[in-house]
Amino acid sequence: MLFPESTRDVQDLVLEARRTGTPLVPLSSGPPHFHGASVNPAAETVCFSRMDHILQIDRKARYARVEAGVTFGALIPKMREKGLRLNLPFLPRANKSALASALEKEAVLIPKYQYDYPDPLLTLEVVFGTGDVFRTGSASGPGTMEENSSDKVLPWGPGSVDYYRLFTAAQGTFGLVTWATLKAEVLPSLSRLFFVQAEEPGPLVRLANHLCRERIPDELIILDRRNFAQAFGDTPEEEKALSGAAPWIMLCRVCGFDRYPEERVDIYSGYVREACAKFDLPCETAPAFLPCTPEKLEETLTDCDRREVCWKCRRGPERELVLLAPPSKTTAIAEAIRARFPEAGILLQPQVQGRAFRVECDLFPGEGEAAAAEAEEALFRMARELMPLGAYYDRPYGRLPELVYTEPVSLDAIRRLKKIFDPDGILNPGKLCF
Amino acid sequence: MSLSEELYREFAAIVGEKNISREEYILAGNRAQTPEIPMAHKSADAILLPGSAEEVAQIVRLCNKHRIEYVGVVAGCIPTAYSTRENSIIMHFKRMNRILEINEEDRYAVIEPGVRHIQLYPEVRKRGLSYTAAAVGPGGSVLVNIACTGGDHHVQYGTSRPTRYLLGVEMVTPEGEILRTGSLQTGSGWFCPESPGPSLRSIVKGYAGNAGKLGIVTKIAVALDRCKGPAEIRTEGISPHHKVFMDSDCSRVYVFNYKDIQDVCRAMLALGEAEVCATVQKYFYLPLTLMMTDSANEFWKKWTGGYKEALSMPLVVHIAAHSLREREYEEKILFDVVRETGGERIPRELEKWWEEHMDYFMIVSRLQSVLRLGGSWLPQKAGAESVQHMCDVCESIGTYIHDFTDTGKIFDAPENYQIIPMEYSHFASNELLIMWDRTDPKAMSYVGELGAVSRATDAKRHFYSSSPGVAGKAGEATGRLYSNVHVWMGRIREAFDPFYQSGL
Repeated sequence: MLFPESTRDVQDLVLEARRTGTPLVPLSSGPPHFHGASVNPAAETVCFSRMDHILQIDRKARYARVEAGVTFGALIPKMREKGLRLNLPFLPRANKSALASALEKEAVLIPKYQYDYPDPLLTLEVVFGTGDVFRTGSASGPGTMEENSSDKVLPWGPGSVDYYRLFTAAQGTFGLVTWATLKAEVLPSLSRLFFVQAEEPGPLVRLANHLCRERIPDELIILDRRNFAQAFGDTPEEEKALSGAAPWIMLCRVCGFDRYPEERVDIYSGYVREACAKFDLPCETAPAFLPCTPEKLEETLTDCDRREVCWKCRRGPERELVLLAPPSKTTAIAEAIRARFPEAGILLQPQVQGRAFRVECDLFPGEGEAAAAEAEEALFRMARELMPLGAYYDRPYGRLPELVYTEPVSLDAIRRLKKIFDPDGILNPGKLCF
Repeated sequence: MSLSEELYREFAAIVGEKNISREEYILAGNRAQTPEIPMAHKSADAILLPGSAEEVAQIVRLCNKHRIEYVGVVAGCIPTAYSTRENSIIMHFKRMNRILEINEEDRYAVIEPGVRHIQLYPEVRKRGLSYTAAAVGPGGSVLVNIACTGGDHHVQYGTSRPTRYLLGVEMVTPEGEILRTGSLQTGSGWFCPESPGPSLRSIVKGYAGNAGKLGIVTKIAVALDRCKGPAEIRTEGISPHHKVFMDSDCSRVYVFNYKDIQDVCRAMLALGEAEVCATVQKYFYLPLTLMMTDSANEFWKKWTGGYKEALSMPLVVHIAAHSLREREYEEKILFDVVRETGGERIPRELEKWWEEHMDYFMIVSRLQSVLRLGGSWLPQKAGAESVQHMCDVCESIGTYIHDFTDTGKIFDAPENYQIIPMEYSHFASNELLIMWDRTDPKAMSYVGELGAVSRATDAKRHFYSSSPGVAGKAGEATGRLYSNVHVWMGRIREAFDPFYQSGL
């Protein structure tokens, strides 16, 4: 394993790899590695754990610039000190790289802050497979990083190509990203969390679609009862109590900021209650089954998972399928997953102003390679079956490339681009369609 | 050079006899100079009206075979929408003007290139939806605006740039293949712009569009937002002498004037942090006064009669809340912020004009018609970055522009720039609009001088004042300052355009 400490080190590693024909695969988060993108037996691993500097946190322009090895566990407290927060994924493990999470387009919890799928990723620095260093958007120049007097936050370009989109969901196949600028938001000074329960996912999906369309909620997530209990129960007793919820539960948080926070929370709480009434759904702030205070649950929701065993691993090894769907297709997909896997955990997260849902299906096959392989095979079969229902695999891990890289013109186009930025094919070979 | 009879027949076989012309009176109309684009254009040899992506692909392949330049055109609002050399054809997309789908639940519309804003905007608006109708006017192509050119717009404070609203794309590559990006790639519909893995969306558009250089876009899906403000807009009069009223207790318009752009900056940031207001922008005062008047005489009377001072640095704010209570809450924060930052509400009779024209789609229709009163005009800078950086860039204009405004080289309006925040003041775009006397033979050299001083000042201060152009020798020099972007752009062009090296 290789441990660069600077961009220059990364550049040297790539140039040497090019010279010797040695494949490289980047690794920036601690274990476990759920999707296998950073596992490549044919390649040397470039571990970014020593590039763990928080380069800048700017309150006025609302961003954080971090090296690849900076984890959520380290970054979140520093952001809070500055009165800022990240648009987090749902309970990311504390040792997860914040940069990798954004590059992988992990689903975020606050759809109103997400205007585009790569959001909250703003700009980045990358070492291409050629060994060249490149910076995207307004970080590109003029001049060096030190000379450039802008905040380096504008994602688009430079020029007429959106370079940063080449490195998202790319599994390190186009370049090794050394740092990235992440969009940040103001830390709320007051908030209220709502619990909305339902027997079926459909009513909650429709409610979420309505609320996001009106730009009302901050955090919003729909979980099935199993995942809800597993995520928020710190002890078996708490987990059991949380299992008393209805089969599906939506968490919806509204927030107030520095100016008149009580008033904002009150107004927005009213909107949530009105919407729930419109959809004939119960809306509570302290449901009877909660074994803890709503505030404690809210604290968990708005942080990374700092527990010894992260929530996804509490029932042993996990295998998952992640997809995107438009709101009109989400319910049918969730129901199809439930019908196929009654024991699966399911997450539904509205994204990009609520114009799509990230759907996640979690299986817990138990210990042993055979069980894991069986679960992966079952998930792959289901992935194929869900495509006619509208499932879209924008983050194609494992065998999913077999399903998504079938159209010859687009396949040829992406391979031409790969040839430009990694002409010798040394970056994570064998992944995606390369 | 005219097309050979044989080749003309081949083109006609693709689009049909009715949809091709080489008549001089047709060709002349597509090389005309306009006040907006005062260049002399070469004449194309023929104009074709394709009806589908398949026809576009066939035309491209035939052009490639015979080494003929092709240019895609809809509205002709930009210089790249014209033929630049002989031995060329124009593809005009007026036949491909269908709104193919408006999906209210998933909030997108699928359109062809010939769809104008005046077609799409009313259709989505009556469904309670809206989109990023950029400042190009009702006749502009929605697709070109969102997928092929730059495009900031006046309500992006509570939304974002059009580039964020581009979803699935179908385009004909320079080799004549039909490429589909995003969720379209796997037959999963139009809703997602990102390809599986590294995204082909990257080559469709960056900060600016490719203006057809990496492919001709034949269909796109545009993301839609809930319409902010009242569902119905009452109108009076006929354009350009029309008024639009947002009759709702939840909707209010306020305009404040400032003396210092850094105070405007503080106000924009404070409002963004509080996530209040639907529209916030610092508008340019010269076009504003032009829009507020119906003739050159009336303009001069008002400009010299107090408008210039009263509107020197206007912060225009539109509140569009869900409820009366929320409107009052937002007003409370707005007035606090304005008080803290030293803004002053403009005279009521001036503010009232905004109340009667606050739908930006309509405002732009008026803008197009009155700009010509000032003679010629040109945007400078037209970039984006953080709100603070854009305000710093615009503040620096004051260090050199007086050499031009005080000496009559350009119109005396030194603060004639706009700053429009986006995503609740995470970023902002800027644009310096200069106007000059078109009858002055030296005017173009003054404009050139100003552009050079502006670029030199930005370079000296290392401002990211606009996204770098990367074409030609000038692009090479610029590209070196921007991570060698010209090299990578060149390689991408080379990979997709079979005639890139030959310059066709």
